[in-house]
Amino acid sequence: MYEHLMENIGGPVAFALEFGDIVNYFSPYTLTLFILAFAFTVLAVVSRPERQIDIAFGGDAYTAKVITLQEMRFRRFMAIACGLASMGAMVSGDIFNFTLFTSMVGITNVGIVAAVRNRHVLNAAYEYGIVAMAATLPLFGGAAIILATTGTLSIWELSSGTWTVPAVAKGLLGLGVIGEGMAPFYAAKAEMFRAPGAPYVIMCSLSSLLIFLRVIEIIITI
Amino acid sequence: MIISRISQILSDFENLVPLFAAACLCLAVIGILTLPLAYHEAQLYPKTIDRASPLDPYDRGGTPFNATPVIAQYPENSPYLGYVTSYLTPFSLFLAENTLHLGTTIVSHPGGILDEILHNTRGLDTVVETSILFTAFAIAFYLFRRDG
Repeated sequence: MYEHLMENIGGPVAFALEFGDIVNYFSPYTLTLFILAFAFTVLAVVSRPERQIDIAFGGDAYTAKVITLQEMRFRRFMAIACGLASMGAMVSGDIFNFTLFTSMVGITNVGIVAAVRNRHVLNAAYEYGIVAMAATLPLFGGAAIILATTGTLSIWELSSGTWTVPAVAKGLLGLGVIGEGMAPFYAAKAEMFRAPGAPYVIMCSLSSLLIFLRVIEIIITI
Repeated sequence: MIISRISQILSDFENLVPLFAAACLCLAVIGILTLPLAYHEAQLYPKTIDRASPLDPYDRGGTPFNATPVIAQYPENSPYLGYVTSYLTPFSLFLAENTLHLGTTIVSHPGGILDEILHNTRGLDTVVETSILFTAFAIAFYLFRRDG
């Protein structure tokens, strides 16, 4: 079987979850990331969103932003989808499966802020969306090169040291994840966080951080 | 000093696309310089193209619900591997028998071709792919209907 093959940086694998050729694994590292994603998803499900208030500088005036229930429902739905995609990406034991979950994180991140009626936030989300869309090319390109040069996509097999994964494929994979999640370049993404609705926008940040941490583990392991 | 300068450039989201494009370009140039990459002949998901087959390019051979040899990474995880290959509904079978273009209609009608690999060994991929598609549809529908 495949138990003996896995020697990753995340510690010994405690549990493997099989989906055919896709064998997800829970090591101390991936399990920690999974629990983080799970906890924030639960938070997005149960918490009430913030009501953002702008205070006029130098005076007593303030404005409370009114957000419709319908918009909040949609953003909560997107935040939950983002959390589920993050959870999948955290424990995935397959390169292609990981890239799919990562691209889903990218699209749900755009979805979380797409409903906001704020020109500035939407402009930032638009630019981010273009990068996320373009990032699918290096992301899936990296996975394709790994499959072509090694004949397999399983992280279990790739971590055994039998195959040599080209450095450029690892680079493409890393660049794709950076483009999808924008981590660690949060400066650009900060514009999106101006959107009201605290637990949902935080999911954008958290999911991108998680997929970035995971891809580092994958790149070192394979 | 240089960090604050980089941070300033990164903080403007208008610079995001050109920066990412430049990073992609750099990596593409490095990739071209490292060519050729050796192709691994023993592929896990081999495929032969038979232009004469009505199921082309999705024909993986074999007959429906009969054990067909299919290569898998972990065959022990797919006990029914090889039993579902190119299963066709009666309508799809009619199309396959009378036209040469059923393979091109895989996305346009249900019950077309159940690919062994997409259905069995890599089923989770298929689920995630459709989830991405439906998420994108959900965003588009929400934005379209919002102002209606």
